[in-house]
Amino acid sequence: MANRASLGLAIVIMLVSGCGIWSALAWPLKAKLFPLVIGIPLFCLALAEAISILLAKQKSDDFRLSADQPNDVALRRTLLAAGWAIGFFLAIVLLGFQIAVPVLLFAYLRLQGKESWVFTIVFTAAVWACFYGLFDLLLHLPFPAGALFGGWSG
Amino acid sequence: MLEAFLEGLGLVLQWKAFGFMLAGIFVGFWVGLLPGLGGATTLALMLPFIYNMQPVEAFAFLLGMHSVVATTGDITSILFGVPGEATTAAIILDGHAMAKKGEAGRALGAALASSLVGALIGAAALAVAIPIVRPLVLTFGSPELFMLAVVGLAFIAGLSSGGARGMLRGFLAGCLGLFLAMVGQDPQAGVARFTLDTMYLWQGLDLVPVLVGLFALPEIIELVVRGTSIAGDAPSGDISKGALQGVKDVFRHWWLTVRCGLIGTFIGITPGLGGAVAQWMAYGHAAQSARTAEERKKFGEGDVRGVLGPGAACNSKEGGALIPTIAFGVPGSTSMAILLGGFFLLGLVPGPDMLTKHLPVTFSLVWTIVLANIITVGACFLLLNRLTALTRIPGHLLVPVILVLVFIGSFTSNSSYADIVVTLIFGAVGYFMVLAGWPRAPLVLGLVLGKIAENYLYISMARYDFEWLTRPVVLVLLAIAIGVIAYPALQSWRGRTRG
Repeated sequence: MANRASLGLAIVIMLVSGCGIWSALAWPLKAKLFPLVIGIPLFCLALAEAISILLAKQKSDDFRLSADQPNDVALRRTLLAAGWAIGFFLAIVLLGFQIAVPVLLFAYLRLQGKESWVFTIVFTAAVWACFYGLFDLLLHLPFPAGALFGGWSG
Repeated sequence: MLEAFLEGLGLVLQWKAFGFMLAGIFVGFWVGLLPGLGGATTLALMLPFIYNMQPVEAFAFLLGMHSVVATTGDITSILFGVPGEATTAAIILDGHAMAKKGEAGRALGAALASSLVGALIGAAALAVAIPIVRPLVLTFGSPELFMLAVVGLAFIAGLSSGGARGMLRGFLAGCLGLFLAMVGQDPQAGVARFTLDTMYLWQGLDLVPVLVGLFALPEIIELVVRGTSIAGDAPSGDISKGALQGVKDVFRHWWLTVRCGLIGTFIGITPGLGGAVAQWMAYGHAAQSARTAEERKKFGEGDVRGVLGPGAACNSKEGGALIPTIAFGVPGSTSMAILLGGFFLLGLVPGPDMLTKHLPVTFSLVWTIVLANIITVGACFLLLNRLTALTRIPGHLLVPVILVLVFIGSFTSNSSYADIVVTLIFGAVGYFMVLAGWPRAPLVLGLVLGKIAENYLYISMARYDFEWLTRPVVLVLLAIAIGVIAYPALQSWRGRTRG
């Protein structure tokens, strides 16, 4: 798995640097010099990494996603964590920070943490009060309303 | 001179100035702890409050706040693996690894003590260097600044793990960072490079969303996977004893701490390199201080020297950055540019007057840095038990709170949702890099130094053609860069011949 991850990264970097080199060729010299000077070695290094993995004879089946959990549990929890992060981002875009923050806290504590209703509500309210008091009331940071409320500004 | 030095102390100890300094420390303490709320942003937010203050009071407030941000930023980085500040990310590598091993007390003790030593080095440099720094700063033109960036990039070799494979991955990550630094409008020809036809990327990749994604999201995923607290089942031991050990570590590795403090001061003095560079160069230097390849492997897994170096450098750079700001009105960083605004608001003009007519005010800045750091470090030691207890809080309570702070921290860099997308993308990159065993530090070093290197190279070529390559300081820096790259190979060769 470590080798597969490394191979995957190397291939992605080869693609990205390859596209970068290709598009840089059309630019004037001043603009393309550095991207080419960096991009070509980057492509070559990624290629070397990919080749060294493909030619390696060592077995990679001893790799574990986590030292503490079996692979299937670790994989499920990794996808779950990624899901929460992406879900939170979507909630921010749709609902805005002011609503998405308590929604995430409440949902995470109830669904993932299996906390009691009382604890969940009190904890959510406390964290939200800190968030609102500090970032909104005190610092006046510009948190736009969510897209559902017409606040999408990119 | 001595009279002015003592007068400066007297000015800071006046009850009003001291009170404002305490208020500044209180604000800075929390700003440092919260990811994303940068010291520069807070300085800008606090600037309007100084209109009715005397110069000494205003600087006690602003500088008191600013000089402790890095200290408490280290705490967040160590405890949660989330960079409290963009300038405190390097300490995550070993500091957070120590926290996960149940050595949070030792890591915090080492970070706080080295921060204090660093701050004192920076303040001492500020006190003694002002009269002599002018020729040094004037020696540094764009060719020297380019070579300094090259020296920084050379530390990629030190940040890579041993062996040909480790070096390959280190340089691959470093080149990726350099390549990512090319994103944005090219300053020479005005071409929009790799911007994917979006306005957001015209100004390049912002460091905060990248750092937060690269370091914090993989930690969050790991916390969810483990299903425990940050420290897990690791024995907590005696926190005070651990902290004391951390303090002892500073004295055990005192020369490394001083060297890294000097690196930070030097980076601070040099305008145009930025604060984020200091910690990474100090970390690279600390990693190179390992005597054997075996010792070097421990870096990233919880070696206390990986905490001491960045801790000292991060705080010493503030004193260093004040030198060109006060002496020439040339700010070395965004924060110093804002502080320079404070000078003008108060009717002070940086330059010769600050070294003659207003010398006591200048020395009051030195004392503010010293006192603010002593007070903050003292307060942190008093709160150490409570701080380290945070690593014992169940993961399911921490994860949503950290996630909220990470996304807010990322969003506030440019107030754009695209910042969060960048964080998510680099979170995935960071996760796969961890999974594949690739070092993340070279990527950050490349990203931080890439644009600087490109800009100064072009200016050097335009101004001096190839003649800049023969300048004495350039040659010295080139020799240092070669030495930095060759040292790991030499070390490995010596290890093999001894073995």
